[in-house]
Amino acid sequence: MNDQPNSSTPASPSPAGPDPGRHSTLRAARDTLRLTTRSQREVRRRNESAWLLPNDGTRFDQQLIRDMRHFDDSDEVDLVIVGCGAGGSVLAQRMARHGWTVVVLEAGPFWNPDADWVSDEAGSRHLYWTEPRVISGADPVPMGSNNSGRGVGGSMVHYAGYTPRFHPSDFTTLTQDGVGADWPIDYQDLKPSYERLEQELPVAGQYWPWGDPHAYPYAPHPVGGNGEIFLRGAAALGVEARVGPVAIMNGRFGNRPHCVYRGFCLQGCKVNAKASPLITHVPDALAHGVEIRADTMATRVETDRQGRLATGVRYMRGGRESFQRARNVAVAGYSIETPRLLLNSANPRFPEGLCNDHDLVGRYLMVQGAPQTAGRFTEEIRAYKAPPPEVSTEAFYETDPGKPYRRGFSIQTVSPLPITWAEHVAAQGHWGRDLRRYMDDYIHWATLGALCELLPQPGNRVTLAGEHDRYGLPVADFSYTQCDNDRRLVKAATGVMEDLLHAAGASEVMTIDRYAHLVGGCRMADDPEHGVVDADLRTFAIPNLLITDGSVMPTQGSANPALTIMALVDRAAARLAGGARGGLRAPETATDAPGARA
Amino acid sequence: MTGEADPHGFSDEHGEPAPRRFPGYDVLAQYGTWDRATQGTVLGRLGPQPALRFFTPAEQATAGALFDLLLDQGEERDRLKIPVLHMVDARLAELQTDGWRYQDMPPDDQAWRRSLTALDLDAQHHENTDSFASLPRERQAVRLQTVQDLDAKPWYGLPAAHVWSLWTRYACTAFYSHPQAWSEIGFGGPAYPRGYLRLGVDAREPWEVADQYPDEDPVAQTTKGAGT
Repeated sequence: MNDQPNSSTPASPSPAGPDPGRHSTLRAARDTLRLTTRSQREVRRRNESAWLLPNDGTRFDQQLIRDMRHFDDSDEVDLVIVGCGAGGSVLAQRMARHGWTVVVLEAGPFWNPDADWVSDEAGSRHLYWTEPRVISGADPVPMGSNNSGRGVGGSMVHYAGYTPRFHPSDFTTLTQDGVGADWPIDYQDLKPSYERLEQELPVAGQYWPWGDPHAYPYAPHPVGGNGEIFLRGAAALGVEARVGPVAIMNGRFGNRPHCVYRGFCLQGCKVNAKASPLITHVPDALAHGVEIRADTMATRVETDRQGRLATGVRYMRGGRESFQRARNVAVAGYSIETPRLLLNSANPRFPEGLCNDHDLVGRYLMVQGAPQTAGRFTEEIRAYKAPPPEVSTEAFYETDPGKPYRRGFSIQTVSPLPITWAEHVAAQGHWGRDLRRYMDDYIHWATLGALCELLPQPGNRVTLAGEHDRYGLPVADFSYTQCDNDRRLVKAATGVMEDLLHAAGASEVMTIDRYAHLVGGCRMADDPEHGVVDADLRTFAIPNLLITDGSVMPTQGSANPALTIMALVDRAAARLAGGARGGLRAPETATDAPGARA
Repeated sequence: MTGEADPHGFSDEHGEPAPRRFPGYDVLAQYGTWDRATQGTVLGRLGPQPALRFFTPAEQATAGALFDLLLDQGEERDRLKIPVLHMVDARLAELQTDGWRYQDMPPDDQAWRRSLTALDLDAQHHENTDSFASLPRERQAVRLQTVQDLDAKPWYGLPAAHVWSLWTRYACTAFYSHPQAWSEIGFGGPAYPRGYLRLGVDAREPWEVADQYPDEDPVAQTTKGAGT
């Protein structure tokens, strides 16, 4: 309404980003050649998922589900995992490969892409977590479509597909920039996991010059109108922008076909071209004996009487309550549901919630500031064609000493479909005839989105609300308030996006503020006073309880989190398997040795 | 905004279903290329909608007028009207929410009832009539504009901005899920398993129709400050 689009041309175009992405051309050529010519055989040896998918035009082999191993509740399995998304699926697949018995409890359904997914925005609401949640704080964060998932595959079923790595600087922001937190691991600890997962998803993109420069196993995709505009604007401003990185097939991988550029990545990929754990890790997990119990709501993590060790997970399925015994428990419900489950699992030893001795569970929750700026072109953009993730730049990712804020942002193409675009237009205050007029102009707009590294703050947290869900459990209240650095970052990112679009020839631009992604809430640290889990994702309080999802991240960078969540879990799985002989795989039972106290 | 005649069609005068900017374009002509699950979902919006279950008759009158204003639909075009009222009613009856609510708002179903009642109260206080729906359209638009202008301030016990967000979210989702609205804006629609082949600026599939008025920049046409 009063938020009229800024129609002025920029007084001074943004200077090129502080990080032009320098790298050795020879090394880039060598690494690219080495990766793109590599045989798929080695990947297949460690993860056969893409070859276990059908090759007849259907997208998931239902026989794999019919043949799935089933455990009894009374079986004490090696590991029970809560949540079958990015973290849970990778952990299940890895541990099954190590010979562990694994049960995964997933609140949502076991998706059949052919029958359950549609090329339609309004018809895809079932992909999101739509159980009630309360949002509060000075800058409340709407939940649902862009930051929650449900069902086997989790939110990666409907993520865009961007899979950038974090930069080395992300692991030491406190030391380096005086903001955020240092991780208990550094980039080199995660690098081998990044490389493994980029081959398993696999990732397509140009050689990546930012952070730790690296190549990708598949060539970049062709770009549609939206990507073309971004590249045009970036070239005009002298800002480096590149195509990718996306976990979308460009070529063939196992039985996964090439992308058909249908543009509905955010509604679930019916092609099997875009990676989600449902097709990248679940088939191999099933083939190695994992049971995935879908439509199963975990309600409580149980421990022995003294709260020393986790003994299993209580859950609701088909209206009935059961308890799965396990030697180890991993919670992978993401940044809202993981803290909620721990808080709902309070017991006499942990009256404030499991692992919450230091009041850290649910705190330091982060979202990325994700303003979207659209530019109007006389030409037809038709941004709905091709995957929304096309082109990005990380030239503004690092702290620029000349700027009044710490850390930075990345900029990526986003391509809103009609309903999302209508919300974009309505957020400008337009309604009635104005709204319809803007909507009629839909095909002329190119849209960019920023991911701003908003800082972790203790007050941004999940607590339990007074309201209850249909299981009778308190729902999550997510409170969020930005700090000054956050606001300055969002403003700067918006300015750069407007400059890019103007430089590409936009006659008008308009911006809406929004958020994307979720991480933190049970962060990792060196010691229990600063975090809930250690570098191996084990909780400090209960040695056989792990948290294996994005909630463990101490900071969030300006990168989409999916790849890093998977990489953290890949690393943790190797550590867990390596320590299996250390005794934790078969802890004493709950009969409790006297005098033992954590 | 809503009272003036539209010289560009899709208007009270023409009342025709053909998309003005994309003449001859009908996204439904492509439905044979869509997968069955998608066909089922999208084509289901074309048939008869379930009878109203959620809105009371009084709420029906108020909500109907509200949606007509927000989406610039009107009784004179009933033949072509996208059944937003019925679509929202079905969502609310089935509690198909977005999965969150603002802390200072009741759950969506209650928030809808309260905000519709508030529109009637507002009409009684300011227009000396018993219901929002009985006001002439221009006066309804003025009342709506005052709600939008309140922004974060309270309006009958609810934060106006959050009420506005609730109204527009439900209205836009319903309206722009309808294939008739897709044809109107030139959207290519579902594309599995066929996919899209012509990517890039000014590239069109053979069955897509070029915009007849590419210079019609909505920013230039917008009356600053809606509702005036």
